[in-house]
Amino acid sequence: MRGMTETTILVIDDEPQIRRVVRNALEGDAVRVLEAATGREGMDRAAAERPDLIVLDLGLPDVAGASVCAEIRGWSSAPIVVLSARHSEHEKVALLDAGADDYVTKPFSPAELRARVRAQLRRSRAEPRAGGGGPVELDGLRIDLARRVLSKDGGEVHLTPTEWDLLRAFVSNAGRTLTHDQIFRAVWGRAGGGDPQAYLRVHVANLRRKIERDSVRPALIVTEPGVGYRFRALD
Amino acid sequence: MGARVRGLLRWAAWLAAAAALTAGMAAVRADLERVHVALAYLLLVLAASSSGTRALGLVVAVVAFLCFNFFFLPPYQNFGLSDRRDWLVLLTFLAVATVATQLLHRARRQAAEVQRLSAEAGRAAALREADRLKDALIAAVSHDLRTPLTTIKALAHDLGETGDERAVTIEEEADRLNRFVADLLDLSRLNAGELRVAPEIVAAEDLVGAALQRVSGSLGDREMRVELHPHEPLLLGRFDFVQSLRVLVNLLENAHKYAPAATPIELSVSRDGGRLVFRVADRGPGVPEDERERIFHPFYRRPQGEADAGGAGLGLSISRRLAEAQGGTLAFEPRPGGGSVFVFTLPSADLADPATLPG
Repeated sequence: MRGMTETTILVIDDEPQIRRVVRNALEGDAVRVLEAATGREGMDRAAAERPDLIVLDLGLPDVAGASVCAEIRGWSSAPIVVLSARHSEHEKVALLDAGADDYVTKPFSPAELRARVRAQLRRSRAEPRAGGGGPVELDGLRIDLARRVLSKDGGEVHLTPTEWDLLRAFVSNAGRTLTHDQIFRAVWGRAGGGDPQAYLRVHVANLRRKIERDSVRPALIVTEPGVGYRFRALD
Repeated sequence: MGARVRGLLRWAAWLAAAAALTAGMAAVRADLERVHVALAYLLLVLAASSSGTRALGLVVAVVAFLCFNFFFLPPYQNFGLSDRRDWLVLLTFLAVATVATQLLHRARRQAAEVQRLSAEAGRAAALREADRLKDALIAAVSHDLRTPLTTIKALAHDLGETGDERAVTIEEEADRLNRFVADLLDLSRLNAGELRVAPEIVAAEDLVGAALQRVSGSLGDREMRVELHPHEPLLLGRFDFVQSLRVLVNLLENAHKYAPAATPIELSVSRDGGRLVFRVADRGPGVPEDERERIFHPFYRRPQGEADAGGAGLGLSISRRLAEAQGGTLAFEPRPGGGSVFVFTLPSADLADPATLPG
């Protein structure tokens, strides 16, 4: 019997071994794992079962990963966690831009997958509150996006307008990997290119110096090499 | 039969043919006109030079010239000429015979050259094809390996949680195998010139932070000292973030593998003119003087007796090539007091005032 609090996770992967690994890593008392072996079957099951989260492999034989992502994104906001091979940052970026929420690189450990999946489930459940509500507090920071007031350990911190826009993009997507292009659209309101794109990393470095305890060992804005940045999930 | 013997036999055969032709024509000399003799000799010269070397053709031409003069132009059995116009006949014959020999020789050389070139082109195409197949094979193998590696890692991980120490080793070895295959893939891409670098403006501390994050799992309790001052202006460079990260992570992991666990690893970043200089220093055994360049060669292994670091010996060679592909360098320096310093440089970048960028 499916209880009210049960979580449904759909795994779309053509390799039965990987499906088993994912199932073993995620299945539990309150988690039901469904499987699909092709992209087409995955999209059908996603439509029929309305899972809370989808684990999607990139190397599907029938449909490109990005198409599966985009199609599911068309009618569902369930988090999509992508399983990818190394050496394919471009592919990861394309998938995140197509609406995926996070990715795990093969070979991954079950603990890593569990952590990523839990973070995404937590984030998707907290979603209605994020961005809209009052000030956010974490790590000695108090971020009030509505009033544009930031304080660190009680003292006010001054941010430039661009840094505010950056921080807003990060906080309202906390726990989610944002590609350079997504950040760019959120801050500058259009797709990347030109000078400001070249300075994105410099703005992030400046923002880190203002909000991180140690900007060389950032704990809030984490770099996802070749892909973008991820703001730490809000508790 | 050697080539030399065959060559001599050919010479003998053509000289004998010249003698036979001369004897045959001499027997019917009364019925022949000069032009018949000249044409017969010319045919002989052409046949000789097309079958043998240029030297054979020229010698047969000279022999024919002399025989023509000696036997067929009056006074007979004598090299003198009674009719001066016969000189013209003789010299024309000699000129035609020589030019024909030369032309034949040239045509043959060109044909040989064309053949050689097309054989070379065929070989080059075959080599390229072999290279492409090798790379495709490595790519396919490395991709296909990831599925079983994921399964192995996952099972080992679950076993490890039940307290079996051996499972931890299995998981570590799976990671090592994965790194090894990835290195092979990179080397093959670098060799094929397929590895693209995408330089962009990056703050040095972004790179250092990402490297520290990536090695945080494998470094365990190792003390990491980072010398990079957050109060000074941002140090900026123009380089490929992902490839530079790989170089820096490789240097940190090497230092961790070779240096005693109780010693710290030190990482510093500074600006030196047009370069950002990353220095990774350890208190490991260092590198003997005659090995200091060889450590950057593919598949280099440290001499036996030292701890096996478990790599394929690809890390440093790949790292150096990644550094150079972005206009940087990677070099070794001995460390005063013992140990190694790896110096990794990248092109620096300047912005008017990094703290107040245009939005």
